Amino acid sequence: MLQAGSNSAVAVWAILRKECRSEWRTRYGLNAALLFAVTALTAVSFSAGRLGDRQDLLASFFWIVLLFATLSSISHAFVREVEGHTLLMLRLVASPTQIALGKLLFNLLFLGVIELVTVPLFMVLMGAPAPHWGTFLTILLLGTLSLAASSTLVSAMIAQTRGRGALFAGVSLPVLLPVLAAAVGGTRGQWQSHDVTGEIKLLAAYAVALLAVSLLLYDHLWEE
Amino acid sequence: MLWRILLFIWISAAMIAAFTWAPLVPVLEQTTRIVYFHVPAAWVTMVALGWSMLHSILYLWKRDLKHDDQAAAAAELGLLFCIVATISGAMWAKAMWGAYWNWDPRETSIFFVLLLYSAYLSLRGSIEGDEKRARLSAIYSILAGVAAPFLIYVVPRMYDTLHPDPIINTRGKVDMDSAIVICFMAMLVGFTFLFFWMQSLKVRATRLERLRQIHV
Repeated sequence: MLQAGSNSAVAVWAILRKECRSEWRTRYGLNAALLFAVTALTAVSFSAGRLGDRQDLLASFFWIVLLFATLSSISHAFVREVEGHTLLMLRLVASPTQIALGKLLFNLLFLGVIELVTVPLFMVLMGAPAPHWGTFLTILLLGTLSLAASSTLVSAMIAQTRGRGALFAGVSLPVLLPVLAAAVGGTRGQWQSHDVTGEIKLLAAYAVALLAVSLLLYDHLWEE
Repeated sequence: MLWRILLFIWISAAMIAAFTWAPLVPVLEQTTRIVYFHVPAAWVTMVALGWSMLHSILYLWKRDLKHDDQAAAAAELGLLFCIVATISGAMWAKAMWGAYWNWDPRETSIFFVLLLYSAYLSLRGSIEGDEKRARLSAIYSILAGVAAPFLIYVVPRMYDTLHPDPIINTRGKVDMDSAIVICFMAMLVGFTFLFFWMQSLKVRATRLERLRQIHV
């Protein structure tokens, strides 16, 4: 049992390293995602101007930019495997759950890098007041976890459909709406110095629920 | 055959009673009557959602395509009833609240269900192969099943609603006359049976279609 557990951990770790390496080789996905995130941010900032005194709008724009950056980029981790005809080989060496967990970790890392660029840029461009860092980062982390968990599962399915990337945003959105609602509410609340425990609890519960159901469903992703 | 005629008579009788016998509620006036159509439609939307998800779980467990037929048919019918509930609700909102759409928590919930059904059906449409389509749509349906309670129950409860719900909310603002309750319950039962009848028709049609494809 312990042996099996450590074996899967090794496999997940190997998948994560392989993902990072193949991403780093071309950096095509990361560059496209960063460019898109900055484009979305520029469009918002350029059209709305500085919104330092409108924390309600700031919170909405903040999460819309992050949501768009996620929806435009995350699906490529699986689509790349299908288009490069490498998925079959990957499945020979690892179980579906191991592959999906590796991709999930990679997607988390990927979103982290995007946020590292987008969040400071957002604060500067939009003239946002200083957030309550602890609360703000908790909300950001939980929101990112939910975004990554949902996108990993959905993109693994989308990669097997006819349109591939085309459906990803539409199919993801219903699953991401609770995240959007709670994260926007929480981000707005912390800027206005309200109590946001409710929103954080909701985000945490949703992230846990998504991760749990993902772990149950990963095994059914590929069969033939 | 007999019970279909009975269902027709049942719904017609309930409809006539709803317009002639049941009294109006003071504030709502003529718009009271929406309760006999809008609420049963919303109810069937939720029943269909549950039915579809139940059969998605059963499919992943048993791997029998008949469960996928059930899940797909329920989703299509659910979308139909969801559109009925949304449009009738928007018309009522225009009459009572002054705007067709206001992102009231109830409107948010129903809109979410609408999105969910559409996403599920577009996903189905883009997958080739019966087994694969059944498997992937079942996965999505279960994932959506995790999101649904959050958006239908948790998120709307975080905000105040103006929606009258005398059924769920027993301390409700609207006191219901017993004639209204009888008509309403009759319509609820009628709509539920209507859904399951349409469901069985759709499932049989799908099964025949599959047989035809095998023989051609």
